[in-house]
Amino acid sequence: MAETSEARASASAPGGDAGGEDDKHDERMLECNICLDTARDAVVSMCGHLFCWPCLHQWLETRPSRQVCPVCKAAISRDKVIPLYGRGNTKQEDPRNKVPPRPAGQRTEPENTSGFPGFGFGEGFHMSFGIGAFPFGVFTSTFNFGDPRPSAAPRGTAQYDEEQFLSKIFLWVAILFVLWLIFA
Amino acid sequence: MANIAAKRIKREFKEVMKSEEVAGGSIKLELINDSWTELQGEIAGPPDTPYEGGTFLLEIKVPETYPFNPPKIRFMTKIWHPNVSSVTGAICLDILKDQWAAALTLRTVLLSIQALLSAAEPNDPQDAVVAKQYREDIRLFNLTASHWTNVYAGGPTVIWEFNQKVQVLIEMGIDEDQARVALSTFEWEIERATEHLFS
Repeated sequence: MAETSEARASASAPGGDAGGEDDKHDERMLECNICLDTARDAVVSMCGHLFCWPCLHQWLETRPSRQVCPVCKAAISRDKVIPLYGRGNTKQEDPRNKVPPRPAGQRTEPENTSGFPGFGFGEGFHMSFGIGAFPFGVFTSTFNFGDPRPSAAPRGTAQYDEEQFLSKIFLWVAILFVLWLIFA
Repeated sequence: MANIAAKRIKREFKEVMKSEEVAGGSIKLELINDSWTELQGEIAGPPDTPYEGGTFLLEIKVPETYPFNPPKIRFMTKIWHPNVSSVTGAICLDILKDQWAAALTLRTVLLSIQALLSAAEPNDPQDAVVAKQYREDIRLFNLTASHWTNVYAGGPTVIWEFNQKVQVLIEMGIDEDQARVALSTFEWEIERATEHLFS
């Protein structure tokens, strides 16, 4: 059995692969445990494992809920790795502060709620006067505290169409009521 | 394919070729395409198991996000094992799922799968039928696994009784693989296997 498997193993050795270069054992000590290349922007975990910071960063991003060392599965985090500064490195910059550009924060403009300021005293106080039908009160005053006026629905949405439709109905009802007052 | 994945697979491939496991014939790795995304692994059945003497082929697909996500691996050689589907070859192994770690390599994964063959986990099964047999009748399980190793993986142990029973079903017009699955599932009782196949 051993003979046949050895024969098979040698038969399957890579054919055209560029396997000529000799790996130096000293350099292998400084290989990143993720990309297996010489570690650049090297960081070392508390458990002693060496990584390129970009590689480790991507690993931590891949599974944010389970941040473990890729080698020994010890708990690991961005704040618990130590950057390594070799002698050849003139700029002693913390690798954690560069390379993987952090995703930029997103901010949206606040909604513009105050079209007509009205008799508002600060936010959320509105007062309006109106004339009502006689038996129900000459002056109708409303006071609203607390809730700011809801902003108008954006154009094109179903809510916008609905509001436009309602305001037309109320306009016609008001016109009919005025006509009835005049002619009755 | 992302640069880091291809670059890493190339390095791993070289290392596997130099490893003592390859020299000893216990694992093997071959390239399927030039883009380093598909490989074929081969593991030898571990000694003192029903898989001894067999060679098992594995399909290895490397995702673009490798090594941050595990390679997708399944058995191409049919195998009777509680943690491998007897139909699809899918493997239930934690390091191929949530326990994957970026420092694991194709070499360590192949060795882990080989270790899984020596130490099944019947309580976390991929194939419930096989796992049940493993728990309830380990002697019959070992015989069945040996038979499958002989038929599909070139293992040395011939079990004549099982071969004859499969032959009986083939003569009834049943596909060989189907016949073997049915007989393995129903404790090699021809009546129950045929009943299942013709129902």
